Amino acid sequence: MIEKFLYDAFFAAIAAIGFSAISNPPKTAYIYCALIAAAGHSARFLLMTPEVGALNIIPATAVASLIVGCLAVILSPVAKIPAETFLFPSLLPMIPGIYAYKTFGGLAMCLFHDSETDFLHYFYLFSNNGFVCLSIIIGMVVGGTLPVFLLKRIAYRATR
Amino acid sequence: MERFDEAGRFLSEYAALLLRSGATCARVEKNVGRMAAGWGLSSTITILPRHVTVSVIAPDKETKNFLTDTGQTSISFDKITKLSRLSWEVADRGLRIEDARRSFLQIALASPANAVWVLFAVSCANGAFCRLFSGDAVASLVVFLATMCGYYLKQVMLAHKIDVRLVFMICAFVSSVLACGDSLFSLGTTPEIAIGTSVLYLVPGIPFLNSFSDMLDKHYICFFCRLTDTVVLTCCLSAGLCAGMWVMRVGMF
Repeated sequence: MIEKFLYDAFFAAIAAIGFSAISNPPKTAYIYCALIAAAGHSARFLLMTPEVGALNIIPATAVASLIVGCLAVILSPVAKIPAETFLFPSLLPMIPGIYAYKTFGGLAMCLFHDSETDFLHYFYLFSNNGFVCLSIIIGMVVGGTLPVFLLKRIAYRATR
Repeated sequence: MERFDEAGRFLSEYAALLLRSGATCARVEKNVGRMAAGWGLSSTITILPRHVTVSVIAPDKETKNFLTDTGQTSISFDKITKLSRLSWEVADRGLRIEDARRSFLQIALASPANAVWVLFAVSCANGAFCRLFSGDAVASLVVFLATMCGYYLKQVMLAHKIDVRLVFMICAFVSSVLACGDSLFSLGTTPEIAIGTSVLYLVPGIPFLNSFSDMLDKHYICFFCRLTDTVVLTCCLSAGLCAGMWVMRVGMF
């Protein structure tokens, strides 16, 4: 269990560092991105583990994103870097890529199958994965950005 | 009057660079308002998809509008950080307009991140992403290589000013074809995860998160614009992925 937890945190940290590199952050931001992403992703892992939180992926992502958002806002004055610099790359490892892939796959397969049974099967895959994907994204975005708006005085004064 | 015009022009260019660097509307408004107040003025901003208009209001209520083209987005949190610091320098230390412009030009002309480092970091990130989605070590390695080729192609094509939508389609196609190697040569046990993850480095995550940030701040026009951009790019990468899988005769389920 601890091994899986650390494994999850480690790979989330690498993903956050790599994806933050695309958005050209200040050099000191990398370590914060790694720490916040590791904390957020491993928190989601714990929340979804049957022995701990046993939560569904949608509420677990929303709660984990809230943790990521709060950490980003709290740490931004320490680093003197805007909260979004940490927040957005740290949320990226939680983007439901495989659900999105299956959603699009389901849609594509719908278009190439005429028989009712096959069409309904692929339409089910499309809608099921699509709803889960959309719900995760909404939970993630709202959970992650809410602290920036609730703690405006901290978030927008970080670079002072 | 001349200083009033100078301040207005500067604030308009400042707002455009912030937007071009990927700042949220809320941050643009806060920073521009702070700087205007530092020079004894007030401001309101109209943000449109390709332009930004800053209305500067003098203490005697004289108002002037300054319009600047925002240009092609090139996300840089480093620039956003430095521009935000500059706004505090004006507000707290009373930095003059000409000094602020000098700092602004330095920030605007700063060289982008090292392309080789970004290429390596993104490839590692996508490989790690594959592991997070329960892909095995072979799938992760395949994704690393597919990402490296696809992202290198993206860097080269964007440097040649090729349309970003076409770039997304081609990169997704190349990365997915390479990732299909996992399934084609029976290298690992999770080839479907390798294919699904191989194009995720193209997902425009930052503009997407920015768009929802704008929505929460009631900047609905910007929200729709940024969201539309994101959806178009996602459709392009999906089309590239589908074409790659079709060419390689790999099923999605």
